[in-house]
Amino acid sequence: MRFPSAVRQAGLVVAVAALALTAGCAKKDDSEVQASGVKLVAAGKLTVCTHLPYPPFQSKDASGKVTGFDVEIMDLVAKELGVEQTIIDTPFEGIKSGQDLNTGKCDAAAAGMTITDERRKVIDFSDPYFDATQAMLVKTGKPYKSLDDLRGRKLGVQAATTGRDYAKKLEAEKGLKLVEFEDLAALQQAVANGQVEAAINDLPVWTEYLKKNPGGFEVAAEFDTGEQYGFPVKKDANPELLKKINEVLAKAKQDGTYNTIYEKWIGKRPSA
Amino acid sequence: MKLRRRQRERLSLGLQYLVFIAIIATVLVAADWDRLADAFFRVDIIKSMFPTIITVALRNTILYTLGAFAFGLVFGTILALMRLSRVAPYRWVATAYIELFRGLPALLVLFLVGYGIPIAFPEREIPGGVFGSIAIGLGLTAAAYMAETIRAGIQAVPKGQMEAARTLGMSHFTAMRTIVIPQAFRIVIPPLTNELILLTKDSSLAYVLGVTAQTIEITKFGRDMLNDRVNATPLLVAGLAYLVITLPLSQVVRRLELRYAKAR
Repeated sequence: MRFPSAVRQAGLVVAVAALALTAGCAKKDDSEVQASGVKLVAAGKLTVCTHLPYPPFQSKDASGKVTGFDVEIMDLVAKELGVEQTIIDTPFEGIKSGQDLNTGKCDAAAAGMTITDERRKVIDFSDPYFDATQAMLVKTGKPYKSLDDLRGRKLGVQAATTGRDYAKKLEAEKGLKLVEFEDLAALQQAVANGQVEAAINDLPVWTEYLKKNPGGFEVAAEFDTGEQYGFPVKKDANPELLKKINEVLAKAKQDGTYNTIYEKWIGKRPSA
Repeated sequence: MKLRRRQRERLSLGLQYLVFIAIIATVLVAADWDRLADAFFRVDIIKSMFPTIITVALRNTILYTLGAFAFGLVFGTILALMRLSRVAPYRWVATAYIELFRGLPALLVLFLVGYGIPIAFPEREIPGGVFGSIAIGLGLTAAAYMAETIRAGIQAVPKGQMEAARTLGMSHFTAMRTIVIPQAFRIVIPPLTNELILLTKDSSLAYVLGVTAQTIEITKFGRDMLNDRVNATPLLVAGLAYLVITLPLSQVVRRLELRYAKAR
């Protein structure tokens, strides 16, 4: 009561500042180091970033639970660590630029993500866990069989994907008009309602789409780009987690778990 | 300890400055400036963004904003007049529209326009492509806000103006068009300019429509560059590009408000 209001205000400012500072510092010590040396940003959880929807690798099922190929592989890792997997849906740029990992939003990402040299500069990748091929989706009955047929036409791509980079490389040579969409759902919409003539994305993604929407679409062309998916982990920060993921991958491939998951989500494995 | 009133005030003021300086100093010392600079300020990347950020991205942002503003202004004026109409159904329709579109996020409206209309009218494009879709999509939302502003402006024009015009033998419509609305618009220029600033930033929602290298605007350009270079510098430059548009506009608003305040 006796304090002049300005002093009270100053006190408030100090209090808020102190709070802000402690909050800022507390963040760092939040992570948990497991007995195996693996660091986790949230105790008792393997926090995994992804960008939804991207079936069959990750998407929500009827009950709203996120499932898919990547999710099940990551579940194996979580099980090995003795924790639960928590999935965070976030824009792909944040994952790809490494920022989501750097800022401690998640321990790893599982987002159908191709390993590239550029991405390696800001991210540590696990061993490859999937061979991806790019493919072009068109509406059934359209006369486009290759990128050459699309000269001067609109080709849809998904922002920040390797499919987009692939198309970008050929844009001038093939005379393509690239239209970028933020996510897969918008890209599929655009093909469906004729905003673009065709769309490029990873083959398994289109295979899954055709399964769900039979009759209206077809994969007109495949481009073997030699891409492989990997799981990103924060650069130079968590080699134990990386090692753990690689161990789980190797084990799953050996004991047949990988094959079971593959056949469940992708289909028959191409004979290597 | 007994302090005189003025001393107490000085002391508290000094304390507040001290806290302020302490916060800034802490941030300055504690932040990792090298890493920040590497993530947000890479000169080679800044250079590579020119001139495209001006010739394409900035230009498109301005075009989209103006398109949406023009659409919103015309439609908003019509809505305002409908709300003030003596014909009840006009008022109902306008009120329902305003409530509806003020309540919906611009992103949703833009998505509905961009994806709904092509489904409703297959194989047909909205005139003007992305530009048309944005002008309509953002304009629909902007019109709802502008209608309320314009209505307030019209109601702020003294009743005597209309009465005098009618006494002179003008029709209600002519009096509205030549006497009341011009005065109303003078009153609502500052709030409408604020709406223009808001629209400038909302034009970044264009990304939901799918954009090409020719139709890209500032935010998407920045995000694409971030993807290509795997560095956040483009976002900083994009932010500055917006300020090039919005800061002068804010100045205009401030000047106009001052002038009106003096005129009163």
